Amino acid sequence: MRNKLLIALASLGLASLTAQAGPTEDLARTCNACHGLNGVSVGPNMPNIAGLPEKYLKTLLLQWKSGERYAATMDRHVKGYTEDELAKLATYFSKLPYVAVVQKADDKVVAQGKSATERCETCHGATGGQPDDDETPKINGQWAQYMELEMMKYRVETTKMPHKKMRGNVKRLAEEDVPAAAKYYAAQPK
Amino acid sequence: MSFNRREFLKTLGTTSVIVPLTACASPSGGGKSAGKGAGKARVVVVGGGFGGATAAKYLKIGDSSLDVTLVEREKTFTSCPLSNEFISGHGTLDYLQAGYDGLMKRGVNVVFDDAVAIDAGKKTVKLKSGKSLNYDFLVLSPGIDFNWKGVEGYTEQVANTTHPHAYKAGPQSVALKKQLEGMKDGQTFLITVPPGPFRCPPGPYERASQVAHYFKKKGMMKSKVLIADSNDSFSKKGLFEQAWKMHYPGMIEWVAGASGGKVVKFDPKSNTASSDFNDFKGDVVNIIPPHHAGLIAMNTGLTNDKGWCTVDMLTMESTVQKDIYVVGDSCLHGDLPVYGAPKSAHMANTQAKVAVGAILAKINGVPAPEPFFVNTCYSVAEKDWGFSVVHIYRIKDGKLVYDTKAGGISPVNLPDEAQLKLQRKLESEYVHGWFKNIMADAFA
Repeated sequence: MRNKLLIALASLGLASLTAQAGPTEDLARTCNACHGLNGVSVGPNMPNIAGLPEKYLKTLLLQWKSGERYAATMDRHVKGYTEDELAKLATYFSKLPYVAVVQKADDKVVAQGKSATERCETCHGATGGQPDDDETPKINGQWAQYMELEMMKYRVETTKMPHKKMRGNVKRLAEEDVPAAAKYYAAQPK
Repeated sequence: MSFNRREFLKTLGTTSVIVPLTACASPSGGGKSAGKGAGKARVVVVGGGFGGATAAKYLKIGDSSLDVTLVEREKTFTSCPLSNEFISGHGTLDYLQAGYDGLMKRGVNVVFDDAVAIDAGKKTVKLKSGKSLNYDFLVLSPGIDFNWKGVEGYTEQVANTTHPHAYKAGPQSVALKKQLEGMKDGQTFLITVPPGPFRCPPGPYERASQVAHYFKKKGMMKSKVLIADSNDSFSKKGLFEQAWKMHYPGMIEWVAGASGGKVVKFDPKSNTASSDFNDFKGDVVNIIPPHHAGLIAMNTGLTNDKGWCTVDMLTMESTVQKDIYVVGDSCLHGDLPVYGAPKSAHMANTQAKVAVGAILAKINGVPAPEPFFVNTCYSVAEKDWGFSVVHIYRIKDGKLVYDTKAGGISPVNLPDEAQLKLQRKLESEYVHGWFKNIMADAFA
């Protein structure tokens, strides 16, 4: 009996393990509708979330929940989860493999983006794939349109975006360099 | 309430399943056979829209050895979400479409046929071609059908020839688009809204916005959109009214049910739609007739007196017939007034995942996982002007409740204009990201 149960549970993943506690994988599956199967998005303005640092994901989710950080839609979602569930979701997605969705762009635009993003290097690495610490996301092969929209958030003076360094650096970008910067990182495989 | 729910709760209360986490090595849950007893289970899914396609896919992800058959009439699915934008001239129809190859590749047996009858006793689905399918579990996701008696004079034939409802996306969306494109400045586009519940609660008002957007784009500033509504309020009302005032001042008029907006009669020859109090005239008249659950659900006796399928809120199993799970627009689910839960693509998608979890649990003799339902529904009122409503349903004290601390509509007012523009711009873009991902989640 016990064996049969084990096999059955394994087949559901962790799904039915803690029926009352809200199993993480079941919760994670509800994220797929917007963030793609296993956290790899196919929509250019929805970010890939698989393989991002646990600490980064957790910080974002909790800041949205508390209202410390601006989001257009996500804040209304995360308020429906407990802090514990959000922490588990952060762990779950951080353990999935990071998939760089490499988006080709015009050479000139990529070059413009590269020269505009020198100040980003210290934290994200030269091509976006070598973050300095576990609170900084990889951005190589992230969706360009998503990154551009994120930068728009930082560039509106009054939005609540608590990362001061990020806000300062994004605001220093020239308007026409914003899409180029996004396209540069989106084009990087590593 | 229902036998199933009580039994489910009892099971939750009395079963203590203690299994070390490490014993369940694969967190992917994907593609493995569940072993004894599970492999041969036959699941038939009727209807290949957002609900049915998601169910078929996740059944195979949950247990690849399941025998899953999807019955669908059309070889190509056309999405209702974003079809209002198509009508006003944005994009092509194929942007809204998906085929069933992705599901076939996952091992789903896709049958292009029409399910004409279900024998819940013998557990068979009869197809138009004469074939019959046996099932252990049935997922029914037939969407909506129209009550052709709802608006006298608006018959199926009228809908298919001169006056498309365009409330099932496809050829009728193309027909309505052509009618809009034939309009001249100064003319009126009339939309009539049926009593709730109907699919896509903000749909008619988004359509009105998109038509006004078209007029504005073409410089037809004397044209108007008139909405004759059977209801006294509507989804995202504050957001729509703000958008109309800002972007289309004086162009959109809404007549509530209480003010005589409930259209009960239509004369296609004079283009006149009438309520008990008013006659409404339009140069293009778009009647959205009242809905009920898909006919197959009605004919199987799964619907209540209002024409919707009642389900166990926690598992999506029909309260009328065991082993039939009803998902999507045809079910009555949730605890909000009139609608229960909104009839949207996203709700259908999460309901399907819950039904799959419950079916797999039943096959394996374990308690169903705790369900979680989420809805995101975007509307686009003007270029760079989108907004949304989010619903989250959770289980509290054994009941499914709408979490009022989460969800809700996008903020109507923001501290300054820059933030308001940013908020609307972001959501006008997000709708496309959401759309691509949910189409992939169901069909790829």
